[in-house]
Amino acid sequence: MSLAIKFRCPVCGTDATLAITPELLKQATEKGAARVTARCPRGHAVLLTIDQYGYIRSTIPVQEAAKPDCEITDKAPPAAQQRLQAILEKGPATDADVILLEKAKAAGWVICV
Amino acid sequence: MRYVLGNWGLRKIVPHLLRSIGGFSALRLFSLWEDYYLYVLVKSMFQCMECEKPPTSFAKMALELARRRRVLDGCRPKAVEQPKRPYPQLLESYFHMLEDVLIGRACDLVAKPLEDVIPDEEAAALYQLFVSSDWYSAVRTAIHAGVGTPKRGRALLIGAGTQEPLDYVKACQVLNARCDFAALEVDEKIYRDLERLAAKYGFTAYLGWDSVKETFDIAIATNVLNWATDPSDIFAKARRVAKELLVTQGVVEGMSILFLLTVALRAQRPVSWREVEGIARQAGWRLEERYAKYPLYIAVFR
Repeated sequence: MSLAIKFRCPVCGTDATLAITPELLKQATEKGAARVTARCPRGHAVLLTIDQYGYIRSTIPVQEAAKPDCEITDKAPPAAQQRLQAILEKGPATDADVILLEKAKAAGWVICV
Repeated sequence: MRYVLGNWGLRKIVPHLLRSIGGFSALRLFSLWEDYYLYVLVKSMFQCMECEKPPTSFAKMALELARRRRVLDGCRPKAVEQPKRPYPQLLESYFHMLEDVLIGRACDLVAKPLEDVIPDEEAAALYQLFVSSDWYSAVRTAIHAGVGTPKRGRALLIGAGTQEPLDYVKACQVLNARCDFAALEVDEKIYRDLERLAAKYGFTAYLGWDSVKETFDIAIATNVLNWATDPSDIFAKARRVAKELLVTQGVVEGMSILFLLTVALRAQRPVSWREVEGIARQAGWRLEERYAKYPLYIAVFR
């Protein structure tokens, strides 16, 4: 059984609904919070942070995907690779991701053509 | 026991965070894993240097830390077994960073200047990776939410970098409080990124203390003292512009391998919690409430 909660799209202000699954609540209980991406009725992607009680703690608009012609070089330390891979595939989810991608390019971890 | 008593206030301000990583016993486990990694680092260093003659300041600092943590007895490493229980999953990225930045480069770190091992651009990228990791961000957000900083009025984030404002915004959302703050940076490169965030989130960004022309209800210094060349100057300047001061600072008493990571990313020096309180007193601040002593010192001054 899942629980439906309402949230307001931070981009257009439209009300939207998200189904919270028991798996998501379990993840939030274990980690303190869980993140899930949802779309508002107008199609804006939103990153929601859910706490263990099923309350929404934050709604952040997901930014446009990075250009697909970027790749991770072998200069990137393994600790950074998984996160950079996710940023390149899905686009930066947060402002911190945007800054990380910029710094990663400056450090030669990511090369874009 | 002393550790639990000294950090009892953590239960008051970050109960969710403590629970999510597994309480005080998980903090203890975290510490065991850190000592294990420190032992591995020292063993790796000894493959390419002599203990009696540490060739770089990083090597000297690592050996001092290992002795303080009783991982090293004189020049003899004391075997630390890998803990049987895994570390909390939230901390996975931190331990991966230790492997990549310190253990994987141990021989270079004891032979070459830091800048040659980790160039400035890479240090900046690693720092961003570190401060924006889920665990680090969760700690900062939880502290602000726990202390209720956004409810204390207009705040000044000292040496904010780019992550602190984002975590502060999250804390405002958690508390459902109005987010009224300014962020101060002294590094021009970081300020350029900060300005962009300021425009998006509607806060004020300042470059250098001279540009701050207003007063605040609270100033917030989060892990800035170990990056500063003159820590007392920061508290004195904060005194001129704010009524209260929240200090969150990793301190030498509980110093772990984490400090070596920050040194590799250009931190200047460790500070002790007594030193933090001494500096604050000298600048005219009076301790209002101390939540934790070490390894993370957290207190509010008036």
